[in-house]
Amino acid sequence: MLSRVAENLYWMTRYLERAENTARLINSTTQVLLDLPRGASFGWDVLLKVAGLDTPFSEHYPQADEESVVRFLIRDEDNPSSLLSSIRYARENSRTFREVLPMEIWERINGLYLYIRDNAIHATQSRSLRYQVLNGVIERRQSIIGLLLGSMSQDVAYQFLKLGRNLERADMTTRIIDANSAVCLPEEAALAVTARERLWMGTLNALSAYQMYRRHIGVHVRTRDVVHYLLKDPLFPRTVHHCLTEIEGCLLRLPSATSALDAVREARSRLTALPLEVLEEVELAEALDAIQADLGAIHNAVAQHYFYLHQQTQTAS
Amino acid sequence: MRIELHNYDHQTAYDELIGVDRNPRPAARALFEHLWGLDIAELDARRAAVEAAIMTMGITFTVYSDAGNIDRAWPFDIVPRVMSRREWDRIDAGLKQRLTALNLFINDLYNDQKIVRDGVFPAEVLAGSHNFRPQCQGITPRFEVWAHVCGTDLVRDRDGTLYVLEDNLRVPSGVSYMLENRQLMKRLFPELFQATPILPVDDYPTRLYDTLAALSPRPLERPVIAVLTPGIFNSAYFEHSYLAQQMGADLVEGSDLVVAEDDCVYMKTISGLQRVDVIYRRIDDDFLDPEVFRSDSVLGVPGLMRAWRAGKVGIANAPGAGVADDKVVYAFVPKIIRYYLDQEPIIPNVPSYLCMFDDERDYVLSHLDELVVKPANESGGYGMLIGPYASAEERARFAELIRANPRNYMAQPTLSISTAPTLVDHRLEPRHLDLRPFVLQSDQLYATTGGLTRVAMRAGSLVVNSSQGGGSKDTWIVDEEVM
Repeated sequence: MLSRVAENLYWMTRYLERAENTARLINSTTQVLLDLPRGASFGWDVLLKVAGLDTPFSEHYPQADEESVVRFLIRDEDNPSSLLSSIRYARENSRTFREVLPMEIWERINGLYLYIRDNAIHATQSRSLRYQVLNGVIERRQSIIGLLLGSMSQDVAYQFLKLGRNLERADMTTRIIDANSAVCLPEEAALAVTARERLWMGTLNALSAYQMYRRHIGVHVRTRDVVHYLLKDPLFPRTVHHCLTEIEGCLLRLPSATSALDAVREARSRLTALPLEVLEEVELAEALDAIQADLGAIHNAVAQHYFYLHQQTQTAS
Repeated sequence: MRIELHNYDHQTAYDELIGVDRNPRPAARALFEHLWGLDIAELDARRAAVEAAIMTMGITFTVYSDAGNIDRAWPFDIVPRVMSRREWDRIDAGLKQRLTALNLFINDLYNDQKIVRDGVFPAEVLAGSHNFRPQCQGITPRFEVWAHVCGTDLVRDRDGTLYVLEDNLRVPSGVSYMLENRQLMKRLFPELFQATPILPVDDYPTRLYDTLAALSPRPLERPVIAVLTPGIFNSAYFEHSYLAQQMGADLVEGSDLVVAEDDCVYMKTISGLQRVDVIYRRIDDDFLDPEVFRSDSVLGVPGLMRAWRAGKVGIANAPGAGVADDKVVYAFVPKIIRYYLDQEPIIPNVPSYLCMFDDERDYVLSHLDELVVKPANESGGYGMLIGPYASAEERARFAELIRANPRNYMAQPTLSISTAPTLVDHRLEPRHLDLRPFVLQSDQLYATTGGLTRVAMRAGSLVVNSSQGGGSKDTWIVDEEVM
C-alpha cells in the first residue's frame, strides 16, 4: 500500500467520523436544552470548545449564539472542521484511492456529500429541520460503515480506515464528556442533581449509548458511572477503552510498528489505572486532556511509521 | 406522446440509425421496436434516472476554466449508436492492421530509419516533428511495440464511408466512459439487452491488464502494475482511477515513485519501497522524467528513462511513441501500411493536404472556406479552423499561421460527418458524432467491440470533444445473424 494512499484513507475516515460526531453533538445538545430545569444555563460556545474551534469561530462571528454556532459547525466553509467541509474533504480525498475501496463506497460517500451540500442550508433554518438533516448525515455515514463491513476485504486499506475511525472516535468521546462540565447548574442541590442527570442522558444519547448503558450498568445516570462507562467499558464501540483495543487490533494486522503499538498499550494502561471513582471536576478535565494527549501520541507514532515516505516528498517539494 | 420519426431530418448527412426512407436501419430495428413501445415521457424519465446515476456514480471529467477547475457530470445520451457486426468485423481488422503498421514505423524511426532511406517518408517531416524524442533512439522495446494503447478516431461521411480521422498514440482517454456508458444502459434498458444480441465490451480492463503484464521485466504471475496519473486536477483523472480500480493496479503519482541506484523503479509504501514492473503512464512525454525531458516537471519521476532504457521497467505507451501521433504523419499512414505490411489500408484516411508541400499549401490557402485546418500536434479539438463556419478574420489569421509554419499544418475537406437520433427537448433530433475504438498491442492485438461514441450535443455542431460541450452514447455492435 502506498504511503500516500494509507494516509489519505486514514484521514478520510477521521473526517467522516468527525462529521458524524459533530452531528451527534449538535443533536444531543439541542435535546438537552429542551429538558434543562429552570436556573440551569448553557452556552453554545461549549460546543466550540469541545471541538477545539473557539479561536477560529471568534475570528468570524461577534457572539456565540445558537444560530452562529450551529451555522459555523454545520455549513461554514471557513471552518475546515464543519460538517460540510469535513465531508467535502473526505469525498475529495476518497477520489484519490477509489481503486482500493469497493465500488459502491465512492457512490455512498459522494451521496453523503451531495446530501449535505444540498441540505446544509435547511439545517440552519429551524431546530426540527436541523434534527432531520443531521440524522440524515448520521444514517448515511452509518450505511458507509455498514457497507465497508459487509463488502470490503479486511486488508491493509481496511485497517487504515478502521484505525482513523477509532482514533477520531475516542478523541471525540473524550471531548463530548468534557462538554458537560461547562454547563452551569442551578444552585439548589436537588435541581442540580436532576440537571446533571439530564445532561448525562443527553451525552449517552449523543453516542447512541443510552440503551446499552441501561442494560449493562443500570437505570441511574450518575456522573461517576457514565464517565466510567464511556471511558473504560470494553464492549461498547464508542468507549475509549474499546477504541484502543480496536486500534491495537489494526496495528497487529499491519506491517509491524512497535512504536505505535507501545503508544496504544501505554495509553490503555494509563486509562485502566485512572481512579475515576474519586475524581473532582477539575481532575476529570485534566484526565481527559491526558487521554487526548495519549491519542495524539498514537497518531504521531502511526504517521511516523507509515506515512513518513510520503511526507518526506511533501517537505522536499 | 409516441416517438415519431416522420419529422426526423438529418439533411444530407448519413444517419447511423435511420435510413433515407425514415425507417430504422436493420441493426437498429430491434431498438426502435422497443422505443416505439415507450412514450417520450417515459424516455425523459429514464434520462432523468440516468443523470441521477451519473451524479452518484461520480462519472465526471474536469474542465479547465478561468473560474478554476470544474468537475462536470459526464453528458450522456440514452439513445445508443448501433452498428452491425458484419461492418464491425471489417473495422476491427482495419484497426489492428493500422496499429501494427504504426508500431513497425515507430520502431523503424528510432532505429534504422529504413522508411526514410527508402524515400517513402520525408526526412524533413521527421526533422520537424515535435514528438520525435532523440533520447529514445537505439531502443527496441519488448515485442518492438511502442504504442500499446491507441485511440483511433473514426468518422463516417455522407456516402456511408468510414474514415480514420486521427490516431491518438500518446495518452488517449475515453475508454472508461465507454465502459460506464454500457453499465448505465444496462441499468436503464435491461429488457433490451435480453432481447438483442449486443456484443459485450467489458473485457477491456482484463485485456489491458494482460497487455501491460506482458511488458513486465520480471517473469511474475502477478507483476506490479501502476497507473501513473498527473493527479486529481487532470481532466481524465476519473479514468485513471477507474482503470486502476478495474485492473487491481496501484494508482500512483510521480511523487509516489522513486528510481534507485539499481535503476529499478520503486513505490513508496507503508512497508518501505516496493518494486514496480510496469507503468501505464497517463502523463505526456514532456513531464515524464525531469532528468531527460522538461526539467521543471514535478509530475514525473527523475530517472524513469534510465530505468526504462536499462530494461528494468515496462512503460506503456513507450516514451517517444507520440511521433506517429501527428496530423502530418497521419497523412502518410496509408503509405506506411503499404510499406511495412504490403497491404492496402482496410479503413481509408480522410484525404489530406500537407501545407509543407508548395502545391498543397497553395490549394489550402485558396480553399480555406471549404477546409478544416489542423495543427500537427494539438489534441482535444483545440487550435483548429473549420473553414465553412469561420469568419473572414479567422481565416486570414490562419493563413498567416500556415505561411509562418507550414510543417505544423494540414487540411482536410469538411466532412459531413454522420448523425444519430439524440434525445433533445423531448424529441429525437439528429446530432453529429464520431467513434473512438481503443486498440491494444503487446504480445497480442485487441480492439474494443465498438468504442466510445462522442456526440456534439448542439444542433449542427461538428465538435464532439468533451472539453468543448460534447457528450457520448453507448455503442452497440449487434450480431444480426443471431437476430
